[in-house]
Amino acid sequence: MTTVSDYEPTPYSSISTYFPLDHAWKSASGKGVSVAIVDSGIDESHPELKGKVVESVEARFDNRRIVFDQSEAGDSAGHGTACAGIIAKIAPDTEFYSVKVLGAGGLGDGQAFLAGLEHAIKKRYRVINLSLGTTKPQFFSPLHDLLDRAYQAGCIVVAAANNLPHPSFPSVFSSSVISVIKSEEADPLKFGFHYGEVIELTAPGVNVRTAWLGGGYRNLTGNSFACPHIVGVIALLLEKHPDLTPFQVKSALYSIARENLEKTSSL
Amino acid sequence: MTEANRDELPEKLQRLIETVDIANVLTEPLTQSIANLLQVSAADINSDEASVLIRDGDEGDLRFLSATGEAAVKLLNLKVPAGKGIAGFVLSSGQPMAVSDVGEEESFYSEVDKTTGYSTQMILATPLSYKGEVIGVLEYINRRGEPPFEPFTPAEMDKAALFAEAIASLVNAYESAKLFRDLGDKVLAGENKDDITDVRDWLKGLRDSAEHREMLDLAVLMREIASRGEAERTICRELLESILRFSQSKSETTFLNF
Repeated sequence: MTTVSDYEPTPYSSISTYFPLDHAWKSASGKGVSVAIVDSGIDESHPELKGKVVESVEARFDNRRIVFDQSEAGDSAGHGTACAGIIAKIAPDTEFYSVKVLGAGGLGDGQAFLAGLEHAIKKRYRVINLSLGTTKPQFFSPLHDLLDRAYQAGCIVVAAANNLPHPSFPSVFSSSVISVIKSEEADPLKFGFHYGEVIELTAPGVNVRTAWLGGGYRNLTGNSFACPHIVGVIALLLEKHPDLTPFQVKSALYSIARENLEKTSSL
Repeated sequence: MTEANRDELPEKLQRLIETVDIANVLTEPLTQSIANLLQVSAADINSDEASVLIRDGDEGDLRFLSATGEAAVKLLNLKVPAGKGIAGFVLSSGQPMAVSDVGEEESFYSEVDKTTGYSTQMILATPLSYKGEVIGVLEYINRRGEPPFEPFTPAEMDKAALFAEAIASLVNAYESAKLFRDLGDKVLAGENKDDITDVRDWLKGLRDSAEHREMLDLAVLMREIASRGEAERTICRELLESILRFSQSKSETTFLNF
C-alpha cells in the first residue's frame, strides 16, 4: 500500500512543536475563496450546490492539443459533484470552478488530467481539489513540474492517494502538494497529520454522505472523499487569512491536527 | 511478391499459425483462473457477486470478461459505455471507491439489473492496473445473504486492491494471447484479395493437418502436466530436454521428424 512509507520515519515525525492558531477560521464559511474541482464536472443544479458554481469548463481535443471550453455538460459520473458537496458542507460560501477532465468520449486519460491541472494553475485558483491521480510513470516528471508551478503561483493543490499497491502521482510528492488518505473519523474537522509518512493527512472518507447526480445523495467510501474534507478546511483558513502561502497552509493544518490529537488523548 | 519471399512465406506463416493456435489454447485456462480468483476473493470479501470488466476499444468502453454469482452468464460480454456507472468512472480516474446505496435511479445499473434480474445495492470498484495502465475494473456487488447489507469496509477495499493486482496480471496475459488469436482470425476471415486467398487456403489446410493438430495436442498435454505441480514440471522439463539433446545429437536421422 502506498499509504505508509517503506522507509523509517525521521525523528522529526514525533516533534510536538507547532504554532498555535487562533480559532477564527472555525467561524468562516469559505467566502471569497476560489476552489477548482478537477474531476468529472459538477451538477450545478444540485440543491447543495445551486448558485455556488461560478464557472464550468471541459476538456476537448483540438488538433491533438487539449483546450478548455465553457461547459453545460454537468457531471457525467457523480464524483465531482460528490467532492464539491463535501466542500460545500464545510465551507458553504466557497466559489467553485469545475474543470471537467473525466467523462464520455475517450477523455479521462492522464493527458487530460494534466491539462486540467495546468488550466487551474493558470487561472490561479487558490485551492485545487485533485481526487484523481495517475500511476503512469511518464507523467511523473510533467506533474512534478506542474506542482512546482502551482507552489510558486500560490495555488494549494490537495490530492487523494489511490491506496493501491502502486504509487499514484501526484499524491506521493511531498513538498508541493497536500496528500490525503481516508480515515473512519466522522467529524469533518477532525483530521490527522502524520509527518514522515508518504501521505501525510488523514480525513473522513468512509461512508461519507454527500451530493450525487440527479439531486440525490450517496454514502461513499474512498480517498477521493477524504481529499475534499481538507480542501473545505483550507477554504475556511483562507477566508480568514487570505495571504497564506502553500507551506503556511500545511503548517496551519499541522497545528489543527495536533490540537485534534491533544483533545482526543485528553478525553 | 518476389521468389525469395514466396519461399520464406510458408515457414513464416506456419510459425504464425502455430503461435495463434497455442494462444487459443492458452486463453481458456486464463479465463478459468480469473474466474477462480474472483470466486475466492468474493468469498473473502463476503460479497455476493464479483466481476471483471476490461477495456473494450480505445474510447473508454468496458465489457464484462468474467463474473461470479447467479447473474454471471447474463453479464458476460455485456458492454458498459464510456464513463457510465461507477465502473466507468473508476476506469477513467484510476481511483477505487465504494458506494453503499447505489439507488434505483442510477441509470446504468438499473439497465444492467433489468438484463440480469438482479438488484444492485452496493458496489466496491477498484482499478485493474498493469504497468501503470488501467486496463479494467474489478467490482464486488452486494453482500451474501439478505439486505440490509453492512457497507464495505476500508480493510475490504485494501483486500480488493491486492486481488486486483493478481487479477490484472492474468487479464494482461489474456489480452496478449487474445491479440494473437484475433490476428489469426482476421487473417482467416479477411477480405478477398487475390494474393491473400492462397495464403488463407494454405492456413486452413495447415490447421486441418494432422501434424498441426498433433502439435497442439502436445502443447495441451504439457500445459496439463505443468499445472499438476512443481515435481511434475521438473520431470517434464528434464524429459523434454533429454529428448531434445538426443534429437540434436542424431540430427542426421529422421527419428523425431514427423
